[in-house]
Amino acid sequence: MLRTLALILAGGESPALSVLTAERSEAAVPFAGKYRIIDFTLSNCVNSSIYNVGVLTQYRPRSLHEHIGVGKPWDLDRRIGGVRVLHPYLTSEGGHWQKGNADALRANLDIIADQNAEAILVLAGDHVYKMDYRPMLHFHEERDADVTLAVHSVSPHEAHRYGIVSVDADGTVTQFEEKPRRARSSLASMGIYVFRKNFLIEVLAGGAEQNIGRDLMPKLVQQTTVASYHFQGYWADVGTVQAYYEANMALLVETPALDLYDPEWVIHTKSEERPAAEIGDGARVDGNLLCDGCRIYGTATRSIIAPGVVIAEGAVVRDSILLSGTVVEAGAVIDRCIIDKEAVIGADAVVGDGEDNTPNQQSPDLLNTGLTLVGRSAQIPSNTRIGRNVIIRPRVTPVAFAGQSVVPSGKTIGR
Amino acid sequence: MRVVAMIMAGGEGTRLSVLSEKRAKPSVPFAGKFRIIDFTLSNCVNSGIFDVAVLTQYRPHSLNAHIGNGKPWDLDRSNGGVQLLQPYQGRRDESWYKGTADAVYQNLNYIRERRADLVLVLGGDHIYKMDYAAMVEFHQQKRADMTVAVMHVPLEETDRFGIMTVDETERVVEFTEKPKNRDKGTLASMGIYVFNTDTLVRRLSENGEGNPRIDFGKHVIPSMISRDAVYAFPFEGYWVDVGTVQSYWETSMDLLNPDNALNLHDPNWVIHTRSEEQPPAKLGPQARVSRSMICNGCIIRGTVEHSVLSPGVYVSPGAIVRDSVVMNDTWIGPGAVLDRVIVDKNVVVGAGVRLGCGEDLTVPNREQPDKLTTGITIVGKGAHIPPNIRIGRNVVINADREEEDFPSGEVKSGETI
Repeated sequence: MLRTLALILAGGESPALSVLTAERSEAAVPFAGKYRIIDFTLSNCVNSSIYNVGVLTQYRPRSLHEHIGVGKPWDLDRRIGGVRVLHPYLTSEGGHWQKGNADALRANLDIIADQNAEAILVLAGDHVYKMDYRPMLHFHEERDADVTLAVHSVSPHEAHRYGIVSVDADGTVTQFEEKPRRARSSLASMGIYVFRKNFLIEVLAGGAEQNIGRDLMPKLVQQTTVASYHFQGYWADVGTVQAYYEANMALLVETPALDLYDPEWVIHTKSEERPAAEIGDGARVDGNLLCDGCRIYGTATRSIIAPGVVIAEGAVVRDSILLSGTVVEAGAVIDRCIIDKEAVIGADAVVGDGEDNTPNQQSPDLLNTGLTLVGRSAQIPSNTRIGRNVIIRPRVTPVAFAGQSVVPSGKTIGR
Repeated sequence: MRVVAMIMAGGEGTRLSVLSEKRAKPSVPFAGKFRIIDFTLSNCVNSGIFDVAVLTQYRPHSLNAHIGNGKPWDLDRSNGGVQLLQPYQGRRDESWYKGTADAVYQNLNYIRERRADLVLVLGGDHIYKMDYAAMVEFHQQKRADMTVAVMHVPLEETDRFGIMTVDETERVVEFTEKPKNRDKGTLASMGIYVFNTDTLVRRLSENGEGNPRIDFGKHVIPSMISRDAVYAFPFEGYWVDVGTVQSYWETSMDLLNPDNALNLHDPNWVIHTRSEEQPPAKLGPQARVSRSMICNGCIIRGTVEHSVLSPGVYVSPGAIVRDSVVMNDTWIGPGAVLDRVIVDKNVVVGAGVRLGCGEDLTVPNREQPDKLTTGITIVGKGAHIPPNIRIGRNVVINADREEEDFPSGEVKSGETI
């Protein structure tokens, strides 16, 4: 196999994930209860025997840095290679924030040049998928291409979210359009690229492109041979609240497309050390994913329950995602919500109440399917009724509710 | 003050029946995802002791694999950390460990190399949370040569323990192993000792006729009471010996009691273990679970009541698990019913099996009548139970039994396979 350096782009802001990315980058957003989104990409790397990995950060990196640490969970705490976190820094000539993912790669050309690698595997840190990168690297080597990009078939209705690729009979890319309004093909770029190392250095050093999809790829397609590698397995871009919710919920079906139980392709994460999940007398639990350390004394149905969540007696959680350490007090009802870490839902509160589906007034494009979002460490006072498509911002305290016991659908609480 | 901990993990633990047949007792799984030794190891690191030796002898593979380089406890250190000490062959002498004191004696070199001032001797087979730093402080304050941790036990049980009689300064004046008359007080030794290294070396080295140094409880400590300053450190809190099948099962069931005193969720005293990397537990739409502990990696499509399930257990649709302990990666077939059983790892329970059936709990196991008398049926690691068989109470199914080892139809209460 080609000697490979993997670079994971994890610096973007991802505003479409609303409160989930208010205090962390998308790569660090929890998924399936105990994982973070970047765990899939990191695990793919080590499961593909790639042990030389850089993670490029910029936006709100604390949570991600803490998660990756020295890379122990992925056996990436190594003397040769291993994982390194690459953050923007200042030099004597100044320094600047990176203006896009191509700019981020350019800022790290010194590291790239230093590596004893033939291929640079550029990965997105915000996709959920299981992929062996080795066949793609092998394909790239055989085609002797300067660039190979991975493509995945998407629904034509979703094409406007992706970089859409047209290919000729032998798979060479003939056109690359970033987020086209009308798509000519249903092959989407997965944001996974293999570059010949020297080619990448040459291209980036001589140009000023900010974004790989928008600026660099359309140009390279004209300049050189860009090969396409068709990946058939499960792959989800969870970059919107709706896509995030659906990808989580899809894990609850009898045989999910994303198999987390495969001993041949373990997804590694920094697991918190927690005891077994505890299910009380009189609890009702069905159709859930339950993580170690959660305690359920009430009812949980069709939900994802992260480590350390407490659901008190008489509380009901339905069709929802509850992240680590959130507490649902007695008698509260949660329906179709995403609740971030360490939130407290007061006794007898109802979150996701009624049939009124008024879209969120501040972000109508983002939140219009009835999901209500509660940000990290928010506290919802007892007996409050909160409608659909509501956003409760992170760290909101009961004061922000100003005594109102009903929050109608479509409202936002907190700044 | 340099403290090394030496954990005695070499004993055979015969009273745990098939659970400790293939592994040392400290490595028996407990509370779903833990091993018994995790409590002692975690107590060490939570007490700030990072020089830990684990003395093994009986079936050490499972324990060795579990401890590895000590990563889960942050004991993978370049200075100190965890060390596994097994009996070895020397040029002049060779021997298996004959007892706890002998095991330490054979490893005095380790203590010297670590330049320890104090040696903390621990058992590897108790479930408890204890701050050893407090005990070390007590030991220093009393200017003791040796300190024993003690706890009050009910008077009627004192004949099962080594009982310490103390004066008003907590100095031990008398030690009586299992006093028949129950007249020596109620302070029982917990098998936890702090020694000044000098004293320990001296007492273990003065071997001779009439002065054996094989076992701490039987030989070394009784001989020290009149000669050295031996103090008793009173411990209050949760402490159980899970050395019998009955106490193992009861302690496991007690974990499901909401008032249970062993808080596993305390963020200030985390019990660390080598966790397998497992996805969350998955509960199917048909699942019914109440008053149970479920670990990551379980898939539950049946009913689980008042039970403890280790990681990776699969409960098929229509199966019922009640009042039971089921260990890692065991597969329970459709319609099988488990009642009052302890099932070790990697067992296959065929479809429709009734495991632990019959009203009469009192027919003791014929081969182990002293161990199994209360209706608990126990299945050893890797056994395959054929479909639709009925298995009674107090039955022992040994490890790795294949389907053809079973009679057709029924295994009566008290039988052994």
